[in-house]
Amino acid sequence: MASNKEVHASSAGEAFVNFFKGIKAYFTDFGTAISKGDTAVKLSTVLMGAGYFARNKIVVGLLTMIYEVLFVLMCIFYAAPNLAKFGTLGTTVRSTAFDPVTMQNTVIQGDNSFLILLNSVIALFMIFVFVLTWIHNIKRQYELQLDKEKGNHINTFVEDVKSLVNGRFNITLMTLPTLGVVLMNVIPILILIAIAFTNYDQQHMPPSSLFTWVGLTNFRNLVNLSNNSAFGYAFFRVLGWTLVWAFFSTFTCFLGGIVMAKLITYRKVKFPKFWRTLFVVTIAVPQFVTLLLVRYFFGDTGIVNSICASTGITSFLQSIGLVANHLTYIPFLTHPGWAKFMIVMINIWVGVPYQMLVATGVLLNIPESQIESAKLDGANAWQIFWHITMPYVMFVEGPTLITDFVRNINNFNVIYLLTQDTFVTTNQTLANANAKEVDLLVTWLFRLTNEYYNYKMASVIGIIVFVICAVFSLIAFSKFLSGGREESYQ
Amino acid sequence: MENAVHKNDTFYEKELKLKSKKKSETTSTIVINALIAIFALIWIIPIVWLFVTAFSKYRGIDTAHFFPAQGWTLDNFKTVLFEPDSVVQYVAWFKNTFIIALFSCLISTAFVLMVSYTFSCMRFKGRQSMMKFSIILNMFPGVLSMIAIYFVMKQIGLTNSHLGMVIVYSAGSGLGYLICKGFMDTIPTSIREAARLDGASEFEIFFKIILPLSKPIIVYTVISSFLAPWADFVFAKLMLNSGISSDWTVAIGLYNMLGKDLKSHYFSVFCAGGLLISIPISILFILMQKYYVEGVTGGASKG
Repeated sequence: MASNKEVHASSAGEAFVNFFKGIKAYFTDFGTAISKGDTAVKLSTVLMGAGYFARNKIVVGLLTMIYEVLFVLMCIFYAAPNLAKFGTLGTTVRSTAFDPVTMQNTVIQGDNSFLILLNSVIALFMIFVFVLTWIHNIKRQYELQLDKEKGNHINTFVEDVKSLVNGRFNITLMTLPTLGVVLMNVIPILILIAIAFTNYDQQHMPPSSLFTWVGLTNFRNLVNLSNNSAFGYAFFRVLGWTLVWAFFSTFTCFLGGIVMAKLITYRKVKFPKFWRTLFVVTIAVPQFVTLLLVRYFFGDTGIVNSICASTGITSFLQSIGLVANHLTYIPFLTHPGWAKFMIVMINIWVGVPYQMLVATGVLLNIPESQIESAKLDGANAWQIFWHITMPYVMFVEGPTLITDFVRNINNFNVIYLLTQDTFVTTNQTLANANAKEVDLLVTWLFRLTNEYYNYKMASVIGIIVFVICAVFSLIAFSKFLSGGREESYQ
Repeated sequence: MENAVHKNDTFYEKELKLKSKKKSETTSTIVINALIAIFALIWIIPIVWLFVTAFSKYRGIDTAHFFPAQGWTLDNFKTVLFEPDSVVQYVAWFKNTFIIALFSCLISTAFVLMVSYTFSCMRFKGRQSMMKFSIILNMFPGVLSMIAIYFVMKQIGLTNSHLGMVIVYSAGSGLGYLICKGFMDTIPTSIREAARLDGASEFEIFFKIILPLSKPIIVYTVISSFLAPWADFVFAKLMLNSGISSDWTVAIGLYNMLGKDLKSHYFSVFCAGGLLISIPISILFILMQKYYVEGVTGGASKG
């Protein structure tokens, strides 16, 4: 295991160095192409198809020229008008004016800050992509020039098209998925980042009013711990609970899953298949059904409370001080402490069967010979569990544990479905920031946008969550893609 | 003599030990079986509650009784299936969710297979950096960027439309290629090389060789991407916000039934609806569970 870790660490470091080496090589190649290219290559910096025409690739040349013309048109009619206002995000507010012709007030549309922002981000992204293709194009022209000088065969247009289902099949396959990712992931993330630096909230809602850049103000508000900053206070409370929650939910489910899997695979257990199916059924019922159900199960006037009251558990808990004396029920999901405890417990209910499924699979794959030889050496069941089973499980599931941790930081469903509408915070400072004690950063973010239209703070929180997740992800990712693991089965 | 007595002693001790070992084994068997039964009981209680409440005559939340005290009935299912009103549009929701799930499943599966094949079986410039970039991007949770996604969709005019939902669920699905690629990595390279020597193009290798060999992982991808829209709550709530209940998906529709004013009239109906949706999902999930394990552990357990 120790040597394994070293491999991971060094491969992560190497990846970092390789990344910069790659970038350097990218621009060096580009420089060579421009300096050593002939007139046609040099001309193609302006007229992108020039190199193709010079090598008799008329159709590709024409297509490239069309691409360039379209880009120029996009710049003139789409990018330029939006980017011109990008610095201010609009200056004219929507207003009404009296129209003497129709004798009525008419609305004069002003600038829409959000549209300007959105379109500018899209335009900037397109320009970025164009620059990449432009660089690539020049390199390609230089390659063609070299090919011709060496007398290599230069593909005709038909051959080029045919290569799209063969040598360059990756381009055909990747185009649509990449477009989808750009639309659903890249552009939204860029917009999110941009909004974090504006004052876009309920007081600045387009189209009736404008919002503008405010620099780092929102970030400062969020990490401000002085007395008058509700957001600063709420942020650290929520962040703290998010991390505590992610830790406990990940480890309770992980350990619970292993214990449960161990129990079920124990050779003396009757009907193992039956028990397994039973647990699997609890996974298969959608979370929003079970969680909402459990929320009323443990409600203040719910059935568990009725039972606890009639069996005297409620009064017992009151006598040892776990339930406040003025209550006639156990505040399972309405008191901050109780709610946090119950959320973790209910999450065990939700998560353990999943982990059990996974752990069963992993446990079945433990090399039998290792366990046998340990038994011969006189190891007891406990020693075998700690020294053979657990290291193996950790080796296989280790990366998954980190992804699970990240997933739990963003575990929206459990928190939202269990506490929305029923949990009301009594902490005034938290309420001022629209947060609750049980909120995770994501549920806080969701309610900030969905209920309070506070987009600027939500974006800042989003960025911070991303940074936190990215740190953990990078650890996981250096394990996933560490060299050698990938092709070892081929 | 002395020696013999000693031998006898140890033999006797050994026998004792064996007996006690047997005894402790029977106790542990009983304890473990009992433990499992108790756990199973805890895990199944809410499901049983869902089941019995779905047949309850009382429509609100019965706070005093676990089993319906006012008698059993099939009316809740009748309401869900045959008597749509302003609140319950279950059949419409089911249809909406099914259509959304079907199309997003088709697109997602296609995208995942395309990306997996490219990364697993083809070697080209920038492959490594693309893979790394996409893993980082995939770690960025969709919940966070959903405001922005919402606005992008609103600009295109696709909020409150099922097409919009399909796009939301499937457009970024190419990023989820890791599991499928892990599977394709285990298909021996020699098969592909032999095909290439026989003059097959990449296109033919993809369709005629790799896809048929990837059947198990295709089943997994299909089922899991089909199930996602049934379980999703956040995006549906954000995107389908028109308040026209016949446009909703099952998740939002059922959630809405438990609103402040509605839950005392619709709780058992909610349970009936929840039960109905759980049955097909359970069957699909049980079919898929053996791939699920491989999926989560990324095929690492094979080593």
